[in-house]
Amino acid sequence: MIPRRVAHNPIIGPGVVPRGVDAEYDAACARDDARDGPATTTHAPASGRAFTLDGKAREKAPTTRTQTPYVTGTSALGLKYGDGVLLACDTLACYGSTKRYKNVERVKKVNERCAIAFTGELSDFTYVCNLLEELTTEDFCEDDGMTRDAEEIYQYLTRVMYNRRNKFDPLWNSLVVAGLKTNGETFLGTVGMIGTHYEDDHVCAGFGNHIARPIFREFYKADMTEEQAVEVMRSALYACVMRDKQMMNKFQICKVTKDGVTISEPFAVPTEWGYEKFYNPTKFSETGW
Amino acid sequence: MAPEGARQHANWSPYDNNGGTVLAVAGENYVICASDTRMSTGYSILTRNYEKVDQMSPKTLMASAGFMADAQTLKKTLKARCKQYEFQNKKPIGCVSFAQMLSNTLYYRRFFPYYAFNIVAGLDAEGKGAVFTYDAVGSYERTNYSCQGSGQALIMPVLDNQLKTVSPLVLPAVSSATPLSEAAAIELIKDCFATAAERDIYTGDRVELWIMNADGVRKEEMPLRLD
Amino acid sequence: MNGPTLDFSFLDATARGSMASKHVDESLDAIDGNMHECNFKAPAVEDFEGFQREVINYVKPNHGTTTLAFIFEHGIVVAVDSRASQGPYISSQTVKKVIEINPFLLGTMAGGAADCQFWQRNLGIQCRLHELENGKRITVRAASKLLANTLYSYKGKGLSMGTMVAGWDLNGPGLYYVDSEGTRLKGQRFSVGSGSLFAYGVLDQGYKWDLTVEEACELGRRAIYHATFRDAFSGGTVSVYHVGANGWTKVTGDDVGELHFSYYPATPVDDVDAHCGGEGKKEAEARAATEASAMET
Repeated sequence: MIPRRVAHNPIIGPGVVPRGVDAEYDAACARDDARDGPATTTHAPASGRAFTLDGKAREKAPTTRTQTPYVTGTSALGLKYGDGVLLACDTLACYGSTKRYKNVERVKKVNERCAIAFTGELSDFTYVCNLLEELTTEDFCEDDGMTRDAEEIYQYLTRVMYNRRNKFDPLWNSLVVAGLKTNGETFLGTVGMIGTHYEDDHVCAGFGNHIARPIFREFYKADMTEEQAVEVMRSALYACVMRDKQMMNKFQICKVTKDGVTISEPFAVPTEWGYEKFYNPTKFSETGW
Repeated sequence: MAPEGARQHANWSPYDNNGGTVLAVAGENYVICASDTRMSTGYSILTRNYEKVDQMSPKTLMASAGFMADAQTLKKTLKARCKQYEFQNKKPIGCVSFAQMLSNTLYYRRFFPYYAFNIVAGLDAEGKGAVFTYDAVGSYERTNYSCQGSGQALIMPVLDNQLKTVSPLVLPAVSSATPLSEAAAIELIKDCFATAAERDIYTGDRVELWIMNADGVRKEEMPLRLD
Repeated sequence: MNGPTLDFSFLDATARGSMASKHVDESLDAIDGNMHECNFKAPAVEDFEGFQREVINYVKPNHGTTTLAFIFEHGIVVAVDSRASQGPYISSQTVKKVIEINPFLLGTMAGGAADCQFWQRNLGIQCRLHELENGKRITVRAASKLLANTLYSYKGKGLSMGTMVAGWDLNGPGLYYVDSEGTRLKGQRFSVGSGSLFAYGVLDQGYKWDLTVEEACELGRRAIYHATFRDAFSGGTVSVYHVGANGWTKVTGDDVGELHFSYYPATPVDDVDAHCGGEGKKEAEARAATEASAMET
């Protein structure tokens, strides 16, 4: 087959030359079309204003993809306690450093035994949710009484994230998976953008790893009650909102127990800004003005 | 050449180093495979409970340090292949065959390597301890002891000092089995990890030892520094 | 097989083509089917060579080192060291750099250890298949060409190998140099690796066609020893092989540390005269005296 004739326009870049522009080329194409037998690659007649490219080579050229996030959520926190798991995050999706969407539910209930939360690109998380919806639908269609438990969802997401990084087209998210295993034990794990994953008694995705995780390490006890766990979680959220500029003081806590998944109404943690130094920040500063 | 202006994965790398040290020592009738349980990224500890040793078949243990997502994927793939081998050959895979399979699996990713540093430990057909040590793209060698991962450069000299015997390449051949008893080897390994945890930021939290001999496999643990 | 075939694909849960299942299938691709039929997975990046350079920095594969082989009246001698390094770290002192392809063929290893191990094992498979198809052993000439063709097909992909194929066939001894750039050379004397220049120095100086087997083995061993002495990336043990009409045999394996003492035996102080002349003895005595006083303090 004769390669497609391509012209280069300095403004719009390469483009296919339509039939009818170059009679000689059209004739060559017609001859080629008429010929029986295996297709062969020939060089089009030399001409000053057009060049040819091997069509196959063009197909092989890798697709370039947008590889930066646009609308992002910051930290997601997870904490185990006596007979359940907590997930917490704010309700903000930022556009760059603009606090753009302030009522986004960043926790997703997967089924009665599992919920996930995310950091990173909002649209990629929506895609992940669609995948999980499909899985749930498949499970429903099977109608064999089985649903995926939290560990299975986690392992599935691990493969999704890792396979996408293998294609150099990652889903720009870190995910926290919380829930119960089939045997009734609590489960808490996290999956990173390039497939890094681990389970622990408390996990954080995003900036929370630096802020909330030390608080969890300090106060975590395996046999905490729900009230104690919520208290630890609130102090972690407080630390996050004070130190993470992408965090907003509007949170949701999601609870997974054997009774199912409940996502709380949004709430704020009390903050105190009425200090004298805040009203007059330079008053006691020797070098200020 | 990349087109002008095109940059390869501008803001992210497909690899991460999650640290960790893995070690194995073979004796006349035993083999020990050990790892620490810390998993890190950059200067943060992600978890203190990531176990790097897995049993792949009745006579084979495998430990991997490096990028954990690659290591876990590699182990999952190999475990599935071990099952296939068992169905096709009506017997579980031996550690020498497994070692060759791992080498090939690594090499088939020569151009997009698994960033994993592996050790295979097991008992060979004669019941002797065997350790196989790898590089990331599949070159491998049977040895009596090996250490890989972030603490490699700290631990390997100690093992050389304590365990090095005549090279197996020397002719006329001299027995090159590890001179240590199983109990002494366990103590040596615990010492090695305790020492590495003093000086390597990516090694710590806990060391787990898998000890394999004619009686089967058992596990021992020892806490390490948490800082 | 002519009748209509039944389509059972509806029984296959993954055949419904859902996106969610596709991600699971991708994980299975690596396991299904014959491992050796699957292709080398390439990274989906624009700058392949740049990616390879980056990855090499990350994974630091084992690299190897000084090897030599030469033809003489009574066959071929192949000699190698045994060190592998990852950057400045010595990752092994016991690498087997002579790869025994079959009882009449040897390959040597320099460059990437994994590349050499894998492709020479692959060459072993190809040679065995040749034997089964033709009912006779493959010639060294053909075997080296098989390897060269394989390597040429991966040219530019970042393989790194410098290898010698040595063996005995109907035409007598055969020796070829093959590398990852696609070069294939027939020759009498080769040395490959970072220490090859040191080895060539000794080898070319001492080579004669009519060496005895013992002399030839000693020449090979001495050449490798001197390479390990001057090249930081060479060391460990020196292995010497001889290839004759009945196939190859491993002749010796010597630790470099011990060879050092046989090539440079310690000289008793009394005999210093014989080695260093009259002045040397006085110096030695003076040094002995200083050392003695130093030890006292």
